[in-house]
Amino acid sequence: MSKELNPDPAPSSPEAQAPMTVVPVRHPWRWVAVAVLAVLTAQFVHLAATNPAFDWPFMIDNAFRPPVIEGLLKGTLAGTVIAMTIGIVVGVIVAIMRLSPNPVLSGAAWVFTWVFRAMPRVVLIILFAGLGTLWKRIEFGLPFDEQLGWLFGIEDFRARLFGFDAHTVLTAFVAGMLALGLSEAAYMAEIVRAGIQSVDEGQGEAASALGMTRGQILRRIVLPQAMRVIIPPTGNETIAMLKDTSLLAFAPLTVELFYQLSAVGHRTFNVFPMLIAAALYYLFLASVLMVFQYFLERKFSAGRVRGVQR
Amino acid sequence: MTAMIKIEGVHKRFGTNEVLRGIDLEVRTGEVCCVLGPSGSGKSTLLRCVNHLEKVNAGRISVDGRLIGYQQRGSKLYELREKEIAAQRRDIGMVFQRFNLFPHFTALENVMEGPVQVLGKSRAAVKARAQELLDRVGLGDRGGAYPVQLSGGQQQRVAIARALAMEPKVMLFDEPTSALDPELVGEVLDVMRDLARSGMTMMVVTHEIGFAREVGDSLVFMDGGVVVESGPPREVIANPQHERTKAFLSKVL
Ligand SMILES: Nc1ncnc2c1ncn2[C@@H]1O[C@H](COP(=O)(O)OP(=O)(O)O)[C@@H](O)[C@H]1O
Ligand SMILES: [Mg+2]
Repeated sequence: MSKELNPDPAPSSPEAQAPMTVVPVRHPWRWVAVAVLAVLTAQFVHLAATNPAFDWPFMIDNAFRPPVIEGLLKGTLAGTVIAMTIGIVVGVIVAIMRLSPNPVLSGAAWVFTWVFRAMPRVVLIILFAGLGTLWKRIEFGLPFDEQLGWLFGIEDFRARLFGFDAHTVLTAFVAGMLALGLSEAAYMAEIVRAGIQSVDEGQGEAASALGMTRGQILRRIVLPQAMRVIIPPTGNETIAMLKDTSLLAFAPLTVELFYQLSAVGHRTFNVFPMLIAAALYYLFLASVLMVFQYFLERKFSAGRVRGVQR
Repeated sequence: MTAMIKIEGVHKRFGTNEVLRGIDLEVRTGEVCCVLGPSGSGKSTLLRCVNHLEKVNAGRISVDGRLIGYQQRGSKLYELREKEIAAQRRDIGMVFQRFNLFPHFTALENVMEGPVQVLGKSRAAVKARAQELLDRVGLGDRGGAYPVQLSGGQQQRVAIARALAMEPKVMLFDEPTSALDPELVGEVLDVMRDLARSGMTMMVVTHEIGFAREVGDSLVFMDGGVVVESGPPREVIANPQHERTKAFLSKVL
C-alpha cells in the first residue's frame, strides 16, 4: 500500500512556490436562508401594521396606565428581585449543606431539593397562599406544648413566645415570594453545587495549606471561581423568574404586570393588543437582563483570559 | 540540633490499599531532606500527612515538637477540630507540583491572601512584605499579573512566595519542578537553593538528583510505602546499598 503513495509529498513544481489566492469556503445555503427569513419578516411586519386586531393606538394608550406600571414595578420587578434573592441565598446555603461532610446536613439539603424541584410553581403558590387555612395564627415556642401538657396533666398548657395572625403575615405577596423563592432555591442549589464542584481540588488544598478555614476557603477561593460556572445559568433562572411572576395571579395577587394588562383587555373586550403589549414588555425586560448578565460574566472572567488586566 | 519534623511509624491506607507501611523519618532544624522514589511509592501521601491534608491511620507526626492533627492528654490522643488544624498549618508551607495559584487573584494578591485572611494583618502592612517576597523570588515587577499570564516557572516562584508569606517553620515541596518545561526548572531550583541557604527546614520530593546531591543534607529513598534507604545524599547516590535504589538511580541519572 505505502509503496503506491508518493514518497516525496513536498511540492516541488514552480507553481507551488508562487503566492496563492485563498478561496474561502462558500455558504450558498446561508443566502437562501436569509432570503426566506427576509420574506417572512416582511410578511409579519405587514400583518402587524395593517391587521386591525393589533390596534396599536389602543395598545399604546393602555399599556402605560398607572395600574399597569404599578403592577410592573411592585409585582413583576420587585417580585423577581425578591424571589431571586431568596432563591440565591437559600440556594447557596443548601448547596453548601449538600456538600458538607455532615450526613444530617447533606441529607436535609437533598430532601429540600427533591421536594421543591418536584412541585410545579403554580401548585406551590396556591399551596402557600392556602397555608392560612391550616393555622389561623402562626406561633413560635415550645413544640408540642399542648401534648406535653396532657402528658403532665396540665390542662390547656401553652408555651408560646410570639405569634402572628396568619392573614396579616401570609399575604398573597408573601406567600407568592416564599413559593417562588424556595422553588428557585432548589434549582439554584444544584447550579451552585455544580459550580463549586467545577473548581479544581488543588485550589482548596492550597488554601488549606495556608491555614484557611473551610468558610474562608469557600468565600475567598472557591465561590469566586465557581461564579464563572454559576452566573450563566443564574441569568437564565432570572429570566425564567421574570416570566413566572405572572403566576402570582394564582396567589391571588393582582398588582402584577400580566394580570393588569389582561385585565384591561378583558374590561374593554379588546384582548389581543394587550397580549401583544405583554409580549413586548417581557421581551424588553429579558433583553435588559441579558445585557446585565453580559457585564457580570465579563467581571468574573478576571484571571481566566490572558487579555483581561485589572 | 533538634528534630523539626518527626515522623514515627506512620501508616496510611486508602481503602484496602496500604500506601504508607510504617515510615520513620526525622528532619532536623535547618536541614533539607530530599525524598526520592518511583511514582506511586507514597511520597506525596507522606508530605500531605505532614500538614494533615491526609489523616494517618497509625503512627504520629510532629512538627517543632507539636503533634499534628491530635492532642495528647494522658494516654489518649484527641483529634483536633478543623480550626485548630488550620492553625497548625500556618507553620507549614507547602508547594505543589501544579502550583495551585489562585487564578482570580494577581500574583501580589496571591502572596497577600494568607497573611490577610489567616493572620488577620492589615493589607497595607502585608503589601510591602509581599512585594519584598516577590522581589526575593525575582518577580518584583510581575505583581500585577494574573497566574494565567505567567510562565510555569514564574507561577511556581509566586507559589513559593505565597507559602513564605506565612513565615512557616518548615516548607514542603511536592515535585515542584516536575510540571515545568526543562528550561524553566533552573529558576525554581535557584529560589529553593537560596531558601535552603537562609536556613529554612525543607522536605523536598524531587527527581532532580543534582539538586538533592548539592543542596540536600539527607536523602530518603522510598519504594512501596517504606523507606528503603536513607543517608547523606552523596553517599546514597554514589554508592546505593539496595537493589531497588540502584535500579531507580540508574533510570534517573
Ligand atoms: N486520595 C487517594 N485515594 C486513593 N488512593 C490514593 C489517593 N492518593 C494517593 N493514592 C494512591 O496512593 C499511592 C501512592 O500515591 P502518591 O503518594 O501520590 O505516590 P507518589 O507521590 O510517590 O507518586 C498510589 O497508588 C495512589 O494511587
Ligand atoms: Mg506524587
